[in-house]
Amino acid sequence: MRLLAQALTVVRKDLLLEWRGRSRIISVLLFGVVTLLLFSFAVGPDSIALRASAAGFLVLALLLSSTLGLSESFRLEQEQRAVEGLLLLPVDPIALYYGKAMSNTLFLMLLAPILTPVALVLYAVEIDPMRLLVLLGLWAIAAAGLSAPGTLYAAMTSRLQSQDVLLPLLLFPLVVPVLLGAVKAVALILTGDPMEQIRSWTILLVSFAVIYWSICGLLFPHAIEEGL
Amino acid sequence: MTVETTPVVRATGLGKRFGRHWALAHFDLEVHGGEVVLLFGSNGSGKTTFLRLAAGLYKPSRGTMSVDGHDSVKERLECRRLLTMVAHDNYLYARLTALETLRVWARLLGSPARDSDLVPLLEEVGLAERRRLPVGGFSAGMKKRLTLLRTRLEKPKIVLLDEPFSALDVAGQDLVEGWVERFREEGRTVIMASHNLPRATKLCDRAIALEQGQNVWSGSGSELVEREAKAS
Repeated sequence: MRLLAQALTVVRKDLLLEWRGRSRIISVLLFGVVTLLLFSFAVGPDSIALRASAAGFLVLALLLSSTLGLSESFRLEQEQRAVEGLLLLPVDPIALYYGKAMSNTLFLMLLAPILTPVALVLYAVEIDPMRLLVLLGLWAIAAAGLSAPGTLYAAMTSRLQSQDVLLPLLLFPLVVPVLLGAVKAVALILTGDPMEQIRSWTILLVSFAVIYWSICGLLFPHAIEEGL
Repeated sequence: MTVETTPVVRATGLGKRFGRHWALAHFDLEVHGGEVVLLFGSNGSGKTTFLRLAAGLYKPSRGTMSVDGHDSVKERLECRRLLTMVAHDNYLYARLTALETLRVWARLLGSPARDSDLVPLLEEVGLAERRRLPVGGFSAGMKKRLTLLRTRLEKPKIVLLDEPFSALDVAGQDLVEGWVERFREEGRTVIMASHNLPRATKLCDRAIALEQGQNVWSGSGSELVEREAKAS
């Protein structure tokens, strides 16, 4: 119970800091919108090609924006060595990890409700509100799968000057299954799912999220203590 | 004051190396419960390194460090439950207010974090009126005062203070002095590193001089005053 209470305190603190700052949310969202625009410019006015690639473009924009957001998540902790202060209180590093991962998941989940409508307009895709809700739910699972390793690597690289380069280099290979699963599932939501395959892709995404949350939770104490 | 005979902090052959440089080399120390120990020495003599090793923030390159019988590396969490450390860094989030900062610390410590408990603490350090202001706008002294409240929130068995008087005005230094006296009366162990010898020697039971990461002298506070007088 103490672990959960500590993790929730970390979440509450992070959300308060995000709200006070707001710059991370705004810059990440703008980055996502610009990415979606660039993809549409790259394909050109071919609406069939745009619709066919919409799922991939949307998930890639979400992934790139997520990476930007994750790399910022530990910067505040490094100012005045606040993370060291938390560990000295003492906060169990596992509670710290799950707290940070939960707040990162919530942060990444916020991206989809903004970026998805933009993508639908830009790529001329029409879906009913029910499928839009399913898409947002699916992104919530993918966000959990991304934020678990993302939080671990953000912590590991937060003290390095080259964090902005290193984080994607470390994170992207690890989240390929989440990327593939999310692209497939989003494509099925956008274009229809006559064979009812979405369930199996969702199970895959959930499985990877569970695996990442378990393994990264075990690795985080070593990563954070060695990095002090 | 009651000084226990069993050491609560024990360093044996302790060494910490950064690259090729040994910040602390073959350092032995036993600190007993209820003792107030002063570490002094020039910059880079190893005082902060020792305190960080005691807090489990560094892993020793050689030797061992134990806190109340717990190994500071293998049983980090147990050690940290017994101690608190106020360091050069103030561990604050610039966007949180003073009261929110205390709430976060208190909740993480498992206390209910009631304002009725926290505001008197802020009054004690002269920050009650500024409790709703973000700490990013505080002066260095005000940040230090807020950070020092960790020692009051946690009520640890061992208090590690790294330059507790730095950045503080005279009133702030008096406050810290009073707290260390109170810690001593409560039987808590205090290990502090300080350059403010006039204040620190008054408080300590034992003073230890460090030079290039080694223990080169130890004596009482009054012996240190004599030593410094002769040296000058």
